[in-house]
Formats: sequence, structure tokens, C-alpha cells
Amino acid sequence: MRRLDELAPGEEARVRAVETSDHVLRRLFALGLRPGARVRLLRRAPLGDPLEVRVGEAFVALRRAEARGVVLEER
Amino acid sequence: MGCPRCNPTPVKAGRAVGQIALLGNPNTGKTTLTNALAGTQLQVGNWPGTTVEKLEARLGDLTLVDLPGTYSLFATTPEEKIARDALLDDPPDALLVVLDAGNLERNLPLALEASELGLPMVVVLNLFDEARDKGYDLDPDRLAALLGVPVVPTVASRGQGVDRLLETAREAPVPAPAVAYPPAIERALAAIEAHLAGPARRAKAALLLAGEPINAPEAARQAAEAARRELAELGLDPFLEITGARFARARELFQATLRGHNPRPTLTDRLDRFVLHPLLGPVLFLLGMLFVFRFTFLLSAPWVDLIGRVQEVLASWIHGLGLPALFASFLADGLVAGVGTVLAFAPVLFFLYLAMSFLEASGFLARSAFIADRLMHAAGLPGRAFIPLVLGFGCNVPAVYATRTLESFADRVRTALAIPFMACSARLPVFVLFAAVFFRERAAMVVFALYLLGLAVGLFTAWLLGRFGHLKPSTGVMELPPYRLPQPRVLLRQAHARTMSFVKGATGPILAAMVLIWALLHLPPGPLEQSLYARAAGALARLFAPLGLDDWRLVGALIPGFIAKEVVVGALGVSFLGSTPPAALGFWAGLGQLAAALLAALKGTLAALFALLGLPALGVTGGGPAALQAALKGAVSAKAALAYLVFVLLYTPCVATLLALRQELGRRWTAFAVGYQLSVAYLLALLVFRWLP
Repeated sequence: MRRLDELAPGEEARVRAVETSDHVLRRLFALGLRPGARVRLLRRAPLGDPLEVRVGEAFVALRRAEARGVVLEER
Repeated sequence: MGCPRCNPTPVKAGRAVGQIALLGNPNTGKTTLTNALAGTQLQVGNWPGTTVEKLEARLGDLTLVDLPGTYSLFATTPEEKIARDALLDDPPDALLVVLDAGNLERNLPLALEASELGLPMVVVLNLFDEARDKGYDLDPDRLAALLGVPVVPTVASRGQGVDRLLETAREAPVPAPAVAYPPAIERALAAIEAHLAGPARRAKAALLLAGEPINAPEAARQAAEAARRELAELGLDPFLEITGARFARARELFQATLRGHNPRPTLTDRLDRFVLHPLLGPVLFLLGMLFVFRFTFLLSAPWVDLIGRVQEVLASWIHGLGLPALFASFLADGLVAGVGTVLAFAPVLFFLYLAMSFLEASGFLARSAFIADRLMHAAGLPGRAFIPLVLGFGCNVPAVYATRTLESFADRVRTALAIPFMACSARLPVFVLFAAVFFRERAAMVVFALYLLGLAVGLFTAWLLGRFGHLKPSTGVMELPPYRLPQPRVLLRQAHARTMSFVKGATGPILAAMVLIWALLHLPPGPLEQSLYARAAGALARLFAPLGLDDWRLVGALIPGFIAKEVVVGALGVSFLGSTPPAALGFWAGLGQLAAALLAALKGTLAALFALLGLPALGVTGGGPAALQAALKGAVSAKAALAYLVFVLLYTPCVATLLALRQELGRRWTAFAVGYQLSVAYLLALLVFRWLP
């Protein structure tokens, strides 16, 4: 299973499921990171964590540990 | 606007004025829109019982309320909870739902949720120009027809489309619920709605079904609990089902509204390549921090000086009036000095708020949090805590207020309790004076070590509270808003309103504290050695004897230092050298001095603007009057002097910081902070005196 933290910068994929705590899940959903959404990893922060992704028109930052909870569709 | 299902409902009776609320995601230009609608009537306050800022305006028979930025009524932050509770428990008479036209698909679910509140509603497509620049061609009339409410495109920053917005809101229809859920969910909602009253039944039922803690009758809660169990047996998660249906409907509406789209790279795409670059990013970030710091303190310094000069002239005038000496001293050294102390904070706060609002509205604040997050995580703090902590080195008061930009209360507590240990600029004169007397060649090193010690104690405090205080850190999930040029008018108005709110709240307590200190120093009338102050200081000196500090004149200066560290050096001067009352000043001579001081402040501001562009001057200068230096040298040993400095560094910074803490965290945390600061200061000072070679 591929997860969001495994994407290379510039790579894009579709979200299959979000497996995190309820609180983080609701926040990710609100920002558009939910099953079916296309997400692209833009970059990692200078110290490697957190990550910046693009979902639709939104730029979203999340920590690597949180990105691990976002399961992606296989290519 | 076309809206086939329009059936205008008059503003609800029973309220003296109609209330119109603005609801929208963060960074949709809601505040700019509120400013455009409210003009000079804008008031900045707090939501009751919280420190979340409330923007409000009274416009004739209407009140306008800007609800905190909200992604959904499923609240994940305190701000979202406030917005939701305001909508459900004290509903407005009409809603302006503000959407970012350039991110419409993501913004639409909130409008769909709002349609279930049973309130007259208008959808505002703000940032319409930005949407066009991103290549979107949208059809507002089509969206209006589908939603059954007016849809108004606006560019709030330029005032476009806002003229008739309030009238439109007043005449707006109540939309029909915009989302049809799967049959099992609809049945569950109907069962819960049967136990609810009021127009927002459907919205409340959906929230209860997903397990949100909202105010509702017990019967409705039980119905929701039963429905959840039934759905669980069918393998259905109410939250996923409800939001899934809303997202699907939002997508349909978006596709219907979209006439065309040619994606174009935006300013944000291009700028972020530099601002968030692995090497360039941190450098730009540090330069930006330095700039904010220098902006605040360079620009405020001339005005703080002006307030000091005005205070001096007023004192001289008072002494020239021929009043009884004690009364004149009360007016000049008690009241005038107290008001001066409060006002001296105003310029610092104003310029800092200006800088902070700029960083926040432009999108830079979120980027700095992104860059610093990993670093701050070591102390268990989020990236956003970095800026308030660094600001603490300038002045603790605005730094504590800046913790408002943190998402969770736990983060706010930990950052706000760490800030008072940052050596603010008011502590520097004390350090410099003692360092010059006792550590001559190593003066700069000692001062630097004190700064590091403060930082270390602060970070350790934050870490400790996270470890043992049951305060969990927040998530790192946040939106990085697009870069935007904020409106100077909005920034100035907000900075002004926030500064005034501090002055109003702080004047009473600081004045009272200053009058108390005055009474200690001047009662009973006579020499200082027989005053209440000397007696209190004598008692304290016994407590401080284990630190090597048994001179009442030294220990006594810590008492006024509780109000503001600026006065410690002055208090030492009075205790060691005695005071000379200011020379009486004639009216015209005083006026001349005031005019000169005002001119100097204006010139100083201009000079500061140029200095901003230059390089910062480093180095420790000054050191207080020579007579005081000589007196101190004889009074205390070098090791005890270091213990004194450690105590001054770590104990309660000033009354204004305490007021800020009380406003942000409440009384209990503030009381804890005072006790903690005094204990840490005493213990570390003791350690320095006992264990340092």
C-alpha cells in the first residue's frame, strides 16, 4: 500500500482512504484531503518534516506521521 | 440575481436589531469584507469567555458579526466551535456565506451545511478577481438557481460588489436543504429531528448523528445514539456518509457553475519556490524575523521616548504648582508615572500588531510555521510557536498576545508560559549595569549567557508542561493560504483597535500597582530608610540572604521590578544615591520642551525608517551612572550579583505580562505562572550562588 509520505516531490496520486485519529481525519477532510481527491506532493520542509501537498486549489501542510495515515490508490 | 425559489422572509421579530453574520473558511477575505461593509464602525472585542477575536459593527438598525474562520460545522478548533455554537445557540437573522471563488469546490460544502440552518442566506463569491486570474470562468447565476439563494460575486479588497450586500441579505430567502443523503441516513436524521425544535433542526440532527457535542435535548441525544448503533450494524459511519454526500453535491454544483478553466501558475506557486526552498527558505525566514523585530522596536522607540518626555514635563509642572510636597509627589510619581507606564506599551504593541497582521494576512506566518515546525517539535511545540517566542526577546506583552495564532489551547498555554523567560529589552539595562560593574571584560559574554539561560528555561518549561501537564500538542495539519497583499487600511484599523483594547484593560491594574509602589516609597513621610518600602525590602532581604543578597537596597528594587523591569535601575539609584525632585518648570518652558519632544519623535520615526534598511548595530553600550556603579561595587560580591541577575531574568517580568497571561489563559494559569516563575528564579539564583566557582 502506498502512502502519502512516500510520494516524491512533484508526484501525484488519488487518495483511497484516510486512517488516522478522528481529530486529524476531520481536519484533513475539511481541507479537501479525502477519498477520491487528487493530491500532489509539492515539497518537504527544510528539515524534512512537515510536507506540503496540493489538493485542488489548496496548499496543505501536514507532518510525516500524519501523511502516513493517508492511503493512496496504486498506479 | 436569478433565484426561482426566492420567497423573501422579513428579518426575524423579537430582536431590537437584525443581526447578519459572516460565515466562511479561513482566508476567504471575510475580515476584509467585514471591513468594507463596516467602515469605521468596526469594533474589535472577544467572544464571551474566550480570547478569540470578535469583529463586530453596528450599522443603523443592523449588527454585523464576523464569525471565526470555519471549514465546517464539524468543529476541530476552538474558533470553529465558537462559530458553530454562535450559529446554533444564538442564531443570526441572516447569513452571508463567504466563499473563495478561486477554490470553490473546497468551499462549497460549508454553504451546503449552512443551507440546513434554516436561515435567510446569501452566498458571496469573494476573491472573484483572483479566481479569474487562476483561469476560472464561473457562472454565479447558475449557482444561485441551483441553491435557491442570491449569489453575489465580490472583490472585497476593492469594494466591488459590496454596496448592496446588506440589503440583499435582509431580503434573502431561506434555502431548501441542499443535500439529499442516502436513505438510511435520511431515516436516522428524521428520527433525531422529531426531538428537536427550531429552524436548524436538520443541521443539528446531522451533527448529533456524527457524534458532535452540541447543545441538544436529552431525547435527541438518545435518538442519535440509537441511530448510530443501527447504522454501525449496517457498517455505515455517519460522518463519512454525511460528508461524502455533501462533497459529491459540492462537486456537482461546482461543475454546473464552471463555464471553463485554463489553469495558470499563480504568484503563490512561483514565490513558494523561493520562500520554502530548503536552503534559501530558512535564510529568508530569519531575515524576515529580524525585520519584524527591528520594525517594531525601531519605530516604537521614538514614541516611547516621547511619552517619557511628556511624563517628565508634567511632573515638573506639578512640582511648580506649589502643592504640598507629598501630594505633588503622589500626582507626579504615582498617577502620571502610572499612566505613562501603560501608555509606553502602546507604541510597541501598535507596531508589533501591524507587523503580525501583515505576516498573517499576507500568508508569510503560515510559511514560517511550516519551516520552523520540525525545530519547535523538539520542545513539543508547533512551528507557529516560534514567532511569539522570538518576539518575547523584544517585549513579553505582545508576545503573549501573539500566541493567539496558535490553534490549540494546550499550545497556547505552553508557549505563553515559556515567553516570560525570554529576556525582554527592559531587562537589558539591569544586565548591562551589573555586567559593567562586576564582569568588565566578560560583560558581553555574561549578558549573552543570560539570554541563552532564559531561552533554555523557557523551552524546558514548554517541554515539561507537555510531558506532565496533560497538554497534548496539536496536529500539524494546516492550510498554507495563497500570498496576498493585505489592505493597509484594514491592518491599521485592526492594530489600532487591538492596542486600544490593551490600554483600556491594563490602565486600571497598572495604575493601581504604581500607586501602591508610590505609597510604599513615600509613607510614612520622611527618609527612605524609614519607609514601608525599606521595611518590606528588609523582610525580603532575609529571604534572599541564602542567595548572598542581604542588602535591602538591592532586594527592594525587585518590588517595583514586579511592575516593570524598566524601573529596577531607577529604584537602585534612588536607594543607593537618594532622589532629587525634578526642577519646577514654567508653563511656557514646559510647552517648548513638549513641542521639541514631538518633533524629535517625528524625526526619530523617519530616521527609524531609514535605519530599518541598514544593518543592525550590535554590542553592549551604556552601563548606568558612575556613582551607582561605584556604590554597587561595594554592596555585593560578583557571585551574588550574578545570582541577582539570574533572579531578575527569570522572575515575573511585569504586571502587563501578567495581565496578558490572564486575558489569554485565565486566572488559574496566571497564578501558576507567577508561582512557577518565582520558584524557578529563586532556585536557579541559589544554584548560581552556591555552586558556581
